[in-house]
Amino acid sequence: MVLAQILLNGILLGGLYGLMALGMALVWGVLNIVNLSHGALIMLGGYTVYYLFTLAGIDPFVALPIAMVVMFAAGFALQWGLLNLVVRSKMLNTLLITFGLDVVLTFAAQLVFTADFRTINPSYAGANFPVLGLTVPVVRLAAFCVAVALAAGVWFLLNRMPLGRAIRATAQNLTAARLYGVNPRKLYAITFGIGAALAGAAGGLYGMISNLTPYMGASLTAKSFVIAIIGGLANPFNVILGGIFVGIAESLTALYIGPTYTDVISFGLLVVVLVVRPKRAVRAA
Amino acid sequence: MKTSLTLALAGLMTATALTGAAMADDIVLGASVQLTGTNANTGRYYRDAYQLTVDKINAAGGVKVGDKTYTLKLNMLDNQSDVNLSVRQYVQLVSADKVNFLLGPFASNFALSDSSVAEKYQIPMVQGGGASTQIFSRGYKYVFGTLPPADDYFASTIEMMGKLTPAPKTVALVSADDSFDVSVAKGTRKHLTDAGLKVAVDETYREGASDFSSILTQVKAANVDAILWTGHETEALNFIRQMKGLNVNPAGLSAFTVGVPTADFRKALGADANYAFGMTSWLPDASLKDRWFGDAAQFAAEYKAKFGYDPDYHAASGAADVETFVEAIEKAGTLDPAKVRDAIAGISFDSLYAKVKYGENGQIVLPQVVVQIQDGNMVPVYSTDFMTKPMYPVPAWDKR
Repeated sequence: MVLAQILLNGILLGGLYGLMALGMALVWGVLNIVNLSHGALIMLGGYTVYYLFTLAGIDPFVALPIAMVVMFAAGFALQWGLLNLVVRSKMLNTLLITFGLDVVLTFAAQLVFTADFRTINPSYAGANFPVLGLTVPVVRLAAFCVAVALAAGVWFLLNRMPLGRAIRATAQNLTAARLYGVNPRKLYAITFGIGAALAGAAGGLYGMISNLTPYMGASLTAKSFVIAIIGGLANPFNVILGGIFVGIAESLTALYIGPTYTDVISFGLLVVVLVVRPKRAVRAA
Repeated sequence: MKTSLTLALAGLMTATALTGAAMADDIVLGASVQLTGTNANTGRYYRDAYQLTVDKINAAGGVKVGDKTYTLKLNMLDNQSDVNLSVRQYVQLVSADKVNFLLGPFASNFALSDSSVAEKYQIPMVQGGGASTQIFSRGYKYVFGTLPPADDYFASTIEMMGKLTPAPKTVALVSADDSFDVSVAKGTRKHLTDAGLKVAVDETYREGASDFSSILTQVKAANVDAILWTGHETEALNFIRQMKGLNVNPAGLSAFTVGVPTADFRKALGADANYAFGMTSWLPDASLKDRWFGDAAQFAAEYKAKFGYDPDYHAASGAADVETFVEAIEKAGTLDPAKVRDAIAGISFDSLYAKVKYGENGQIVLPQVVVQIQDGNMVPVYSTDFMTKPMYPVPAWDKR
């Protein structure tokens, strides 16, 4: 029973992990930018939901789409005004600029939000229900469902809508895409905006099950990176599966080896994936 | 790559923070504190307590050494919650800035590393942020601490558990893997065995962990009477929220080494903070008389008025560190580091924090008062006997 509960915990947590990585994988796959400020965007999304909830009294799940719109606008502006300037230069440049962005966003957040810990704490935050002797936390289940729904949305967008086809075309062959009338600058900005919106949703959900501080970004960026590599950049559902895989691996590690080793295992998995399937990682990078 | 960039940025910030050499009539206290980064939330207690106490002492006429009067100055750097940076900053403080004495950073793992700089350069460091007994078990002569030994943090809680009805019999011990918490866990295991309690779950997690669902599932399966938990405030928040989410509720109690005494913690958790037990080595009580502030209650009032939030034991401990230097310098009648060091070792004075007197190893010995959050307020519950009736046993989450 303990094992079943721990597997359930891992799966539910993994869905959220997958959502965190989804935005990073999308931006990485299409723009070839490894966005080191992805965690900071998650943090900003979390604070957006926090303030919508505490100041405006909007239910966090209703606030999620609002935060996504806000984060989309922020991401669009970032790409349009800043990252488009370096998007086709060497990867080191984009790494540097997104790292710088991470530092700026983190410390600006401390100035504006202070270092106080915040939780998004609606009345149902701790609610749970029993199923077959297992305890299912409502918010985690909801977070899992939101993650899967958003992954489905991204899949639909990429595979069934003209905009998504244009995004994929740009990623596959920029010249050909331009010949067909795609405006890459705008498309890049939209893609980064979607990535930021997904990060925003992840941040809001994270604030409901954990807590928000200006410094939460760095570790989330690292985790998203691992999951993006494991899940691959091509299919949104694979990213969610990658997240679930890491979530289960971490939970089982905590049970059998000890909770101090969870990071060893999740980053160890990264090394294993790179060794076993280097082609995928090369294509990804 | 990321590290070297951090270093470069840190270097820049340090360079701009230099305050130049000491003036002839100044006594400069150097410190590197977490003003930003993951520990900034607690680091601010030290920043604000140091500043308030220095200003207060200067306003009262400064420090008299023989027939000369000195003004206290602070040279405070931001270590960005990075241990390696803080060590470099302490080296800079003693070797380049030539400060007279050293105040400490927050947290045991910082104090553990930073105190080695003090020992190497033979400049006394009085630090109020590191409780781990590791800091004081190395035979260092220049390091003093105003937080009581981490090993004994749970001693009073365990003593209290023996007097509760029904008394908890089985315990889950959950601890982080950093210097302070390893020390707490080590001491707590011994205290639990001595008290005849059974440790049913004993899990250590990685510092900074945010997911406790695996540990909580094991705790729930073991059906323990009590959880003793040690770690950092942000982890305590996650732990309690996830306890509720997974419906883990020991019949007896849950006690935490950190978080419970801070207002921020109670605010973040809201009603879910109720019933949590915690501990503090200090309460803003008017019976604690102080030479500069009058008493602890007045200190707390002045602190709140100036900074807009309530001080906790971190702040009081930091204030006692500054006062220790002033008392010791006046007693020694000189600014010579070795003589001041000897004066600190033999000092005994009443302060807003406690009666300050350092043991053979340099660490103060103080009892931890057990506190509990009752209806959103922190209430002292037990020290050597019950002070208020604890709300016990703790009701299930859905019956609160």
